[in-house]
Amino acid sequence: MAIPDLNNFLKSFFTAHHCSLLLDQDGVLTIQLTEEMDRALMNRPFYWHYMKKMGHSGEPMQLTLITNPNKRDDEGEWIHFGSPRLQQIIGYLQQQEKYTKLFQKVNPTVNTALYPWLVTNIKVSYRGKYKRDELFSIGLNLINGTMKSDMMKILDSIPLHTTISDFCYTLSPLVKLKSGYRRIEAVVDQYIENQNHEWASEALEELQTEIELLKYFYTSDNDNEQMEKEIKEINERYQPRITYQVINGGLFYLTSEIV
Amino acid sequence: MMKSIHIEKDSTFINELENRLEMNEPISSWELFSMAFHAEKTTMTPSFKGLRALEFLPHVDFLNHQISSAEQVIEQMNGRAILADEVGLGKTIEAGLILKEYMIRGLVNKALILVPASLVNQWEKELNEKFYIPAVAYRKNMSWEQGNIIISSMDTAKRSPHRDTILNLDYDFVLVDEAHKLKNHKTKNFAFVRSLKKKYCLLLTATPVQNQLVEIFNLVSILKPGHLGNYDTFLKSYGKDRKNMKQDMYLKQLVQKVMVRNTRKDTGLNQIKRNIETIWAEFSKEEKEVYESLEDISVYLPSFSKITFLREFCSSREACYLSLKKMLAEQPDLEGFQRITEAIEQLPNHKKAEKAVELIKEIGNEKIIIFTEYRATQLYLQWYLQQNGISSVPFRGGFKRGKKDWMRQLFRDHAQVLIATEAGGEGINLQFCNYMINYDLPWNPMRLEQRIGRIHRYGQNKDVHIYNFALKDTVEEHIMKLLYEKINLFEQVIGHLDDILAELAIPDIEHELQEIYSESTTTGEAKVKLNNLSAIIQQTHDTNYEEEQYYGNT
Repeated sequence: MAIPDLNNFLKSFFTAHHCSLLLDQDGVLTIQLTEEMDRALMNRPFYWHYMKKMGHSGEPMQLTLITNPNKRDDEGEWIHFGSPRLQQIIGYLQQQEKYTKLFQKVNPTVNTALYPWLVTNIKVSYRGKYKRDELFSIGLNLINGTMKSDMMKILDSIPLHTTISDFCYTLSPLVKLKSGYRRIEAVVDQYIENQNHEWASEALEELQTEIELLKYFYTSDNDNEQMEKEIKEINERYQPRITYQVINGGLFYLTSEIV
Repeated sequence: MMKSIHIEKDSTFINELENRLEMNEPISSWELFSMAFHAEKTTMTPSFKGLRALEFLPHVDFLNHQISSAEQVIEQMNGRAILADEVGLGKTIEAGLILKEYMIRGLVNKALILVPASLVNQWEKELNEKFYIPAVAYRKNMSWEQGNIIISSMDTAKRSPHRDTILNLDYDFVLVDEAHKLKNHKTKNFAFVRSLKKKYCLLLTATPVQNQLVEIFNLVSILKPGHLGNYDTFLKSYGKDRKNMKQDMYLKQLVQKVMVRNTRKDTGLNQIKRNIETIWAEFSKEEKEVYESLEDISVYLPSFSKITFLREFCSSREACYLSLKKMLAEQPDLEGFQRITEAIEQLPNHKKAEKAVELIKEIGNEKIIIFTEYRATQLYLQWYLQQNGISSVPFRGGFKRGKKDWMRQLFRDHAQVLIATEAGGEGINLQFCNYMINYDLPWNPMRLEQRIGRIHRYGQNKDVHIYNFALKDTVEEHIMKLLYEKINLFEQVIGHLDDILAELAIPDIEHELQEIYSESTTTGEAKVKLNNLSAIIQQTHDTNYEEEQYYGNT
């Protein structure tokens, strides 16, 4: 699992949203929500509508989340990887945290240039008889064209901030965002092209077989409409597809020393 | 190869990023940005193989055959299959697991679940509570377009105007429970399911072939038309005799490609027998007097009260006494009741309780579960058993999980008897016990089946003994003789009862029975009505059976 510790994940999530933790003990977490978090998670739009209308500030709720399965009968919600609450939080993250612009934090004594990087996290889904996803994190230096894979891992060791540090200045990109993105996409295209697509051949084979069976089934039948519908369903089910979806990305200004 | 793969790229992201940067709109902090990335890594599915859903459902104990069935349906059958496990092996669980897996992988958003009317709520509960699938039961004026996962009865769905709306929608997943109703290709149900626009499709039935091979042909034609040839060639090769299936290895193999069937034999549930016995008890003279005065006096009560008092009195003095007291507190001037409550106070021990102690001693050193409908009876029995040197622990559906587990443990390690008020003890496994006393019979036979299912389940390795208690010359005798025994409930009808009741438009049999009693002025009248009800159930069962025999001969 990419989220190794759910309790920590939740703590960071709520702290980053300025909520205070009232209790954090033994896998039980009580959080004082902010208005933003209450609106996002507690599903009570009428309460907030009413409060605002009356000119009140409203009172955000407290939420107790239990990650320790042995405590799941305690007062509060048991939260785990399948629970609706976690899906809600993840959905919120995916919807809200798509775009960014960040600066490397440095303490230079002389004027330091920061290089612009376009970073994209792209999910590629392969769908034939079944489905599988792959996640790429690619960074492109918009001055010299250097490209890095596993960019998120590299960024993990760099302190980043939403504002630029003193004595730093940014270089303007030589490569435009859009053409930068096209270069990244081309690399993914290339990667896909070089792969073995057995999953797709299998799916196509199945597609052919089922359509042949279907035609045999209908030889003595005149129900063309039904047959067309079923052919469509077979296509829908087996036609191999690949989709690209950018999970999130943004512009990062980094010093020249990054690996 | 690349040419035949459809590729869809993301063109919106980079435009939106450019806009945001230009307009100086709010952007994400590093921490949240990185969290979103890790969340995606967590929810994506890195491999074509395996069930991710298992990680998402840590609270469900799946059985091995349920997991392998789900895998088989997804990986080998590509999501179109007949789930034909024998009753009690968890077809619903397998179906839920498959649907969950498709949802996690983002392959199913819109689903239609067609089940018998009497099971709609149960499906809704199970999918939501066990699988966290946000399924909703169809209710009046709901929109078929907007709901994502809708559970409905076949009758509602196929009726105008729903039918046309539904047939216009594209479903990613369609499930039909009790799919043996689709075996006749000339019926409306069959035509309806066949014309649904669907990607994945599961047909659930314990009896895929009841009589004729052509039945399986019809079911398969919904999933994979042509898989078994066309209608004429199929009839020519295999005729109408279902025995051919056993002889024809080729046909068998073909069917196995679209059907999963686990039997009790495969799963080790086969050798266990059910012994069912009725234990008759008789009221003492004093008890009988009270029972009769209750019968006489309560004619003036609001409907349902009378029959409730009688049933309670058959269970224990305490159960009836408490209700009477409660009623008297609200209406102190009700004539005659004061006398009855006083008479109850004077009664010695309940005859059924004495019978129970007798039976427990006879059974000897074995674990026994006693089910009763009433909490007051539960408390009384606990006390009475203790008086007779028999140790017991109570069990209620309302207990918290921790307490349930604790009680189960106490029962297993220390007490001889568990006294339970509710079969609904979801997930509690009592296979270490194989004796059950139904101290009073529920009026809904399905609940009886659920009770028995607590001990007659996966993991049980001894024969199961069920004792049903009933009092002579009381309402219990009517229900036992005129309903349970008359329709042969324990032997043949129980598996079909749902279908039969749906067909008779009886959504709630318990309610039906209460109505019979509250609307009858004499016991004789109630008995006649009860008799009629049994006759109709029996008749419907027989006709269904006959239809199955005849089907296909036209």
